[in-house]
Amino acid sequence: MNDSAGRSETPVLATEAVTQTFGPVMALNDVSFQAMPGRVVALVGDNGAGKTTLIKILCGVHRPTAGRILMDGEEVQFQSASDARARGIATVFQDLAVCDLLSISRNIVLGNEPQRRIGPLRFYDRKSADQIAMSALAKLGVQLDSELSDYGATLSGGQRQALAIARAIHYGSRCLILDEPTASLAARQTQHVLDLIRRAAEDGQAVILVTHNFLHALKAADDVVALAHGRVVGRFLASEVDIPELVDLVSRR
Amino acid sequence: MTDADKALEAVSHVVLRRTGFVAGVRRVLLRAETASLAALVGLFIAFSIATDLFITKPTFVSIASLAADIGVVGVGVTLLMIGGHFDLSVGSVMGLSSFVGVSLFSHFGLPAPFAIIGTLVAATLIGLINGLIVVATRLHSFVVTLGTLLWARGLLLWASAGQVDSLNLPDSFVGFVAGPKLWGFRMSLLWFGLLATVGSVLLFRTRLGNWIFAAGNNPEGARDLGVPVKRVTVSLFVMSSFGAGVIGVIQAARFDSVDPQRGQGLELLAIAAVVIGGTLLTGGFGSVVGTAIGAFVFATIQVGLILSGVPGFWFNTTVGILLVLAVLVNNLLGRFVLGAGGRGLAAKSTLVSAKAVTGRVLEP
Repeated sequence: MNDSAGRSETPVLATEAVTQTFGPVMALNDVSFQAMPGRVVALVGDNGAGKTTLIKILCGVHRPTAGRILMDGEEVQFQSASDARARGIATVFQDLAVCDLLSISRNIVLGNEPQRRIGPLRFYDRKSADQIAMSALAKLGVQLDSELSDYGATLSGGQRQALAIARAIHYGSRCLILDEPTASLAARQTQHVLDLIRRAAEDGQAVILVTHNFLHALKAADDVVALAHGRVVGRFLASEVDIPELVDLVSRR
Repeated sequence: MTDADKALEAVSHVVLRRTGFVAGVRRVLLRAETASLAALVGLFIAFSIATDLFITKPTFVSIASLAADIGVVGVGVTLLMIGGHFDLSVGSVMGLSSFVGVSLFSHFGLPAPFAIIGTLVAATLIGLINGLIVVATRLHSFVVTLGTLLWARGLLLWASAGQVDSLNLPDSFVGFVAGPKLWGFRMSLLWFGLLATVGSVLLFRTRLGNWIFAAGNNPEGARDLGVPVKRVTVSLFVMSSFGAGVIGVIQAARFDSVDPQRGQGLELLAIAAVVIGGTLLTGGFGSVVGTAIGAFVFATIQVGLILSGVPGFWFNTTVGILLVLAVLVNNLLGRFVLGAGGRGLAAKSTLVSAKAVTGRVLEP
């Protein structure tokens, strides 16, 4: 596999001829797809094209009916979503990114809480949590209006995405799957999130950006994969395709 | 703030904790306990004006005793409610588990400490059943624990043949569990204090506490991050039932009897105390300290009204009005502070926070 600069690299995460059927419905048909380290690949397609099914296979929720999943070139079978997460695949769903009534620090360390031992007991280490939160956010240059001790509810939609991305990277994700990260965001926030996605890729992440917004896909991605009716209908470098062409591809019957 | 914190704030682009008057007031208003504490202070002032008998030691002993009974159950119910579930079965669990303990003592001749353990084991087993059913069937906990309320009470009535039994427990045992041994205050106050302390530390100072809040707030998101939401949920039902077992032991000792009617209505008292204490009925927010204050609010109303010569039936009326008022104030504070806090929140997140804090669904 060669990227645009001609370097040869192994995809962090890939599917090979994956097919997924639900009863008589064929949701994915022979889909091959690669996420390269340091690159953003946009997965575009209309509603019902199979984007969500593909993500769910990549993050371990579904097991494909046929085909293989590869991590670093070797076949893997995810037993569950937590199995996939443990191997470094982080999926961010916008609505689920943040607990409204936990503090921002507590949101960032959720599931990985630092603990302090006192005798046989272990306690939540708030100081370390604050430090982890700060360094996780600082690494990506995320800016928040809220204080870290304030509730997640005070974050805007874009900040929620930012928090989730910073959290995933801090806890060692290698492949970042973002499901419609720019849906329902204001223009300025959208730009902020797209910048953040670029920074995540520069940090070495293999980023999969799932969106039905072609403009956002072309702005943030290196590669674009178009899905329609469960099939891959086009693969492009983002610099070599335009929106009308994509619209035409994914909406063709 | 320490120098290390300041250094971190300088290199990152975020603020750890705002200081200053406005930020401080905002934080206080957003605390779960604020409304109930104000209510408690108000009640104390009102009753001490209403009657000279109020500010006396016997009054405080009575209040503490009543508050401890509700509070012992309330701690577990609080944790469970923050985790997103109800337990309507605590009254029946208390009755049934104390019957089990008493039977071990009087029919099987086990020493009192083993009877206590038996009571607590019986209670936690019922909690385990509640939790497993909720997690496995995804039925609403309201329904599942309503079922337990009914079957556990029915089982108790059958097993006890509806009879009140006196026990003749050893004095030393009764004194230790429920006697007035703390400078005239009942031992139950100590057990309540211990449970509340453990519950509060668990909630705010442990990893499990973080998971409880997350499970109540956003169970799917928490699960995506590796939080074992099901395990947390089951353990919360166990804790809630454990509190019912503890009060079962305390009351069996205090009244030196077992009564198949005991604990009826306890579940609603506990939920009322929890909600007065600022815990959200919809989960994800609350505090054990708030519940403790809520229990004292309850007890203060009951004792204060009696001392003021008000007929007993006004108790429920007063508590009912206060319950609604306390929740209303909590809602208004949450919306006022998070909604119009002058911090330039985006419209959407304002709605989210209002919804989150008040438990109301506001459509954008």
